[in-house]
Amino acid sequence: MTPRKDLLDIQSLTDEELDFILTNAVPFKNLFKRSVKKVPTLRGRTVLTLFYEPSTRTRSSFEVAASRLSADVVNFSVSTSSVVKGESVLDTISTLEAMRTDYVVVRHSNSGIPNLIAKNTTASVINAGDGFHAHPTQALLDVFTLKEVFGGDVRGARIAFIGDIQHSRVARSTNLLCRRMGMHTAMLAPSSLIPRDLPQDIAVFGSWAELYAWKPDVIYLLRVQMERQNVPFFPSLGEYHRQFGMTDDRLARVRDAGVWVMHPGPVNRGVELTDNVMTYERCLIDQQVENGIAVRMSVLYWLKPGSATEEAVV
Amino acid sequence: MKRLFQHAEIASEDSPKLTRADVLVEDGKIVQVAPSIAAGEGVEVIDCSGKILLPGLFDVHVHAREPGQDQKENIRTCSEAAINGGVTGFVMMPNTSPAIDTAGVIKTVLESARKCRIPIYTSGAITKGREGKELAAIGAMHAAGAVMITDDGYPVGNPVVLRRAMEYAKNFGLIVASHCETMELSGKGSMHEGSKSYSLGLEGIPAISEEICLDRDIRIAQYTGTHVHIQHVTTARGMNTIRRFKEEGVKVTCEVAPHHLIFNHEDVGEYDTNYKMNPPLRTKEDNAALLQGLIDGVFDVIATDHAPHTEFEKNSDFGSAPFGITGLETALPSLYHYFIKDGKFGWDLVVKRYSAEPRRLLGHAPVPIEEGGTAEFIVFNPGATSTFSRDFMKSKSINTPFINKTLQGRVDTVVLGNEVLLSR
Ligand SMILES: [Zn+2]
Repeated sequence: MTPRKDLLDIQSLTDEELDFILTNAVPFKNLFKRSVKKVPTLRGRTVLTLFYEPSTRTRSSFEVAASRLSADVVNFSVSTSSVVKGESVLDTISTLEAMRTDYVVVRHSNSGIPNLIAKNTTASVINAGDGFHAHPTQALLDVFTLKEVFGGDVRGARIAFIGDIQHSRVARSTNLLCRRMGMHTAMLAPSSLIPRDLPQDIAVFGSWAELYAWKPDVIYLLRVQMERQNVPFFPSLGEYHRQFGMTDDRLARVRDAGVWVMHPGPVNRGVELTDNVMTYERCLIDQQVENGIAVRMSVLYWLKPGSATEEAVV
Repeated sequence: MKRLFQHAEIASEDSPKLTRADVLVEDGKIVQVAPSIAAGEGVEVIDCSGKILLPGLFDVHVHAREPGQDQKENIRTCSEAAINGGVTGFVMMPNTSPAIDTAGVIKTVLESARKCRIPIYTSGAITKGREGKELAAIGAMHAAGAVMITDDGYPVGNPVVLRRAMEYAKNFGLIVASHCETMELSGKGSMHEGSKSYSLGLEGIPAISEEICLDRDIRIAQYTGTHVHIQHVTTARGMNTIRRFKEEGVKVTCEVAPHHLIFNHEDVGEYDTNYKMNPPLRTKEDNAALLQGLIDGVFDVIATDHAPHTEFEKNSDFGSAPFGITGLETALPSLYHYFIKDGKFGWDLVVKRYSAEPRRLLGHAPVPIEEGGTAEFIVFNPGATSTFSRDFMKSKSINTPFINKTLQGRVDTVVLGNEVLLSR
């Protein structure tokens, strides 16, 4: 396996790399049961989190993962108040070069910013979500979770994504990885939130009735992102919940069929789902969070930053 | 001063076949074109064996960035880039800073243009500041030398304003050139809306954004009886709309850019901003349809939409980077490399669509390589290659998909009157 500097998306991962990350996440997860949850793997290394979009959940997950590997974690505060363009991001990066950071974990509302940073730094760049593009560690933790649920082999299992497909990087990355692992995937959303020119082998539904008929094994509820919609894609959150959300009635049906439920968090209660989903025995949300730390440890362990003494490319 | 271009293959718009001939130029005029001309006393002989002589190219869509954006380009550097690509005349677009929207600015830019080695023309804006609200001083700009009006970079969003502009421009016989885009549908899009924009997570610019505006603009032109020129058409459907209106007898002409024939949205790859332009690269199917349209004659002219931007601006994320690529220096080699070399079309098409028709569009005479004409031609060497390095480029900006790439074919010589403007 040739050493890899960055993790920017799912597409560029080879089967071997994918297998390496998912396999190594298992011993990292086992570590959580021990009283000392730390290993010295990344001692002396620095992991920097650079979040241009607020996300306490993802950021802490990376921070916990890094500190369990004994890395130093630096939190670089950046303005999230206005849209920060690529040019000024590069200014920040040249500052970071001087700080000799080994890993940069970046989240930004513009697609492609991690790619831009990766081209301009010797540090390892991990995409923690960019625009509508990708969220590779989310996809990895989702598939890791599915493998746990399905006893290691997810081939042939059926997963349906529900909600804002158009603006969801989670839907893009997780869907891509699920299909690559041999799963069947489907989408259910208002048509205004279904992208045009989707790959042919993704089933697209307009109603729960169609979805039931498809007999999903897993339902993946996506976060409705009102903040991303400058023109309304659907009439109201109430209407969304009635037409597309997991109501109590739908939950009852899902429970009867033994369907697993996932969500990338944080949930909008009363929109994507009702409170009762959170206590449903096949709801995997907490498991996803825990696995997120193990998978991110595995990713940090796998990446090989360029030598910090090398000249910066900026 | 006499120059003899020997053993050349001469291209003309009338035949796909090249004519083997010698060309004698004296005092800037083509005095003789014959199968064999003896070199007399004091005649400079230029051996053109294996090379093609074609009339100087003319580009009706060029962003020279003057006034106001000197860091990207200015009229002088733009004219040198043109010469480097075999272009011996062009029309500037008015989306400068300030916009070219008054007779005064027209005069200023034409003054800069006069210091250049090739003739340069300018268009004026349709509306003040290209804001789409109030009509610019169209008559005064025409009197000062504007050859067409356009708000290029933007459409005229309000159909009433466009209607009045078209009615008014008719008095002066001015062409109204139209950048077709429905801004509300384009939104914050940065590339063609399709499978690629989805996988890159970029907001898309749908084909209908261009097609709806194109339809609207031609309908208004039809209604007002004005000549409308549709700029940079990118979709098969839009092109077919133009074909239909032409058949109905509407005064509509249109242009296609080489990059829209050669590249498609997949070429954006992993956020390569040298493939970000507006209108965006569409699909493979559109490439093929546009090429067929060019061969069939739906497209009146080829134009590059030469749009320089600094490396600093382009070294950004795809969504934030400015739209536009340079084209003057790469157009002819790219047309040769991708199409002529493989027999997709002949040299006659390049002469007709990128030299003769653009001049006719402005009411100028073409510059064929014939006895009695002014010498305005280029020598193209199909046996050589062009590598578009920073050193090779004369434009201030190098934002092109061809940067550091090599294409078959090279512009070796550019002759204008008594001057040899380029000699490689
Ligand atoms: Zn334009």
